[in-house]
Amino acid sequence: MIIPLARKILIHDWRRFLPAMFAVALSGVLLLMQTALVFGILGATAVYMRESNAQVWVGYPGTQTIELGRPIPVTAQTALLADPGVARVEPFAWFNGDWQGPPRAGGVSVFVSGVSTEPNALMFSRVLTPAQRALLDQPFTILVDRAELAKLGLPIGGRALLNGRLVKLVGVASGISAFGGVNVVASLATARALDGSSGGAEVEYYVAELKHGANAAAVAARVNREARGYSAWTAASFARNAVLYWMFQTAAGVSAIFLAAVVFVVGAVITSQTLMGAITGSINEYATLHALGVGLRPLRRVVLEQSAWIGACGLVIGVVISLGLLGLAQAQGVPADINLAVWLMCAALVMGIALVSGTAAVRVLRKADPASLLR
Amino acid sequence: MSALLASNLYKSYASGKLRIDVLRGLSIAVEAGRLTLIEGPSGCGKSTLLSILSGLQRPDAGSVTALGQDLWRGDNDAVDRFRLQHTGFVFQGFNLFSALSALEQVMLPLGYMGMTRAEAIDRSQAALVEVGLGDRIDSRPAELSGGEKQRVAIARALAKRPQLLFADEPTSALDAASGQVVIDILRRVAHEHDTTVLCVSHDPRLVSHADRVLGMEDGVILNDRKMQSVSGPEKDGNVS
Ligand SMILES: Nc1ncnc2c1ncn2[C@@H]1O[C@H](COP(=O)(O)OP(=O)(O)OP(=O)(O)O)[C@@H](O)[C@H]1O
Ligand SMILES: [Mg+2]
Repeated sequence: MIIPLARKILIHDWRRFLPAMFAVALSGVLLLMQTALVFGILGATAVYMRESNAQVWVGYPGTQTIELGRPIPVTAQTALLADPGVARVEPFAWFNGDWQGPPRAGGVSVFVSGVSTEPNALMFSRVLTPAQRALLDQPFTILVDRAELAKLGLPIGGRALLNGRLVKLVGVASGISAFGGVNVVASLATARALDGSSGGAEVEYYVAELKHGANAAAVAARVNREARGYSAWTAASFARNAVLYWMFQTAAGVSAIFLAAVVFVVGAVITSQTLMGAITGSINEYATLHALGVGLRPLRRVVLEQSAWIGACGLVIGVVISLGLLGLAQAQGVPADINLAVWLMCAALVMGIALVSGTAAVRVLRKADPASLLR
Repeated sequence: MSALLASNLYKSYASGKLRIDVLRGLSIAVEAGRLTLIEGPSGCGKSTLLSILSGLQRPDAGSVTALGQDLWRGDNDAVDRFRLQHTGFVFQGFNLFSALSALEQVMLPLGYMGMTRAEAIDRSQAALVEVGLGDRIDSRPAELSGGEKQRVAIARALAKRPQLLFADEPTSALDAASGQVVIDILRRVAHEHDTTVLCVSHDPRLVSHADRVLGMEDGVILNDRKMQSVSGPEKDGNVS
């Protein structure tokens, strides 16, 4: 087209289109932020995978999330070690504990993690220092996240009953808070002693560090081929399963989708109204073009192109606002988790809002009846 | 051979329970190279006739032969194509995009005709020069007077080099001087480009400059006057 009509109108009447651009941008921001927050909050369920240096996890078959783990046979460890891609294997015990803290602290749901106390252990390798691990070498000692101290009502050095046994809080770490309860980290030996249900040697998980260059998915697939009574996953897929499980278990996913639909509709309504207003304002000009022989199809394309530009501008505005808000969230310690897929999904939804609006607004062009110019 | 031939045109509008018969078996022949004018009392159906002859509105019955083609035989797309190729319009309103300069207004339809940019610029500049706006090609509608806007609208119609040019009350929104300019342009287009110019107007000056005046009343043509034009002596030989 030798005269880019859509763009010319958009630039000349930018004030008229600005509300639509912001509607589209804010729709995108809302979609992005709510997704980031949902993933950020639910991301706590994947803290075990995220903060550990293990690439492959082995647990009870079909386990969706760490809380649903069951003891698995010790043969899992030998099977893992037999794999050519595996460098080392570490047991990891996990169970739901019965916590009796100081009076008036109220009931607290605690999750007990039994981890290796070796200085270079895999579990929580990103958040626990060797010194902190060494503290756990003493029997019946525990660590919790700094943020949980208030919830437990316990100072460092304080004691409480865990599964009926007296334990001592010997330190705090940061980055080990759990989703829906308090994570208590103990040594494997302490965990075994505390866990009444497990019959001694069995643990719920084995985690493996791979040799340099080994592919986690390939190792997991190989282990699964021979697995009896246990199952292997890559750390990434186990983490993803956990987030998705809680997303739909807690209705967070459903409400996120519902809110997304509302945002989509509101954004599309505002944008299409703006476009319709713009078309109506120029309806005689469009009718004149139609009289001069320009078909309705090319005129529709003008409107759709305008909506695409509104989407593109809204996208840019939205990205800027989102980056600002994500920065703010990070500065305030609000959990927000975002990845490329979410960015792309929100971008697609934003363009979808714009194009759906354009398609809706195109109807107004039917009023561009050139015969109405002759009266 | 007439450029525009209509026979037995009928058109009625439903207005609530009432049916208004606007055209009742109207027939008309319009020649190329002349400025033909239709006049008549308000509401007698002049604009309706123009819209049917120009391919903007389908008649209820009757046929229109434009440039030897049965205009209303095809579907709407075919009529759109015919208008794109052959017709220009000048309306009472100027209907210019406020976002475009005079040159761009004129170039816009040419782009849809599949013309190259260079060709469209040449033609548009020539058309703007022809209507006396050669020095205002970069002006937006907001910077133009009413008469200048109407001249841009005329240039937009002329740049297509249409064989058929339709104008509905082109001077009614203009002052005397601007009206005269527009009249001169329409007349010149008819005589110099051999264009069929069909114009609806009450303007007595336009009446006196037309080559032929058709008097319309109540949906039929009542009288047909061939005029001996008072101006443009060099082309008077074309008439009669
Ligand atoms: N779309 C329509 N619906 C209903 N009635 C219409 C419509 N268009 C025109 N009419 C009626 O048809 C009649 C002729 O209208 P038209 O516009 O052709 O008149 P006109 O001769 O151009 O009048 P004027 O000189 O005032 O412009 C009028 O009575 C008008 O009210
Ligand atoms: Mg009229």
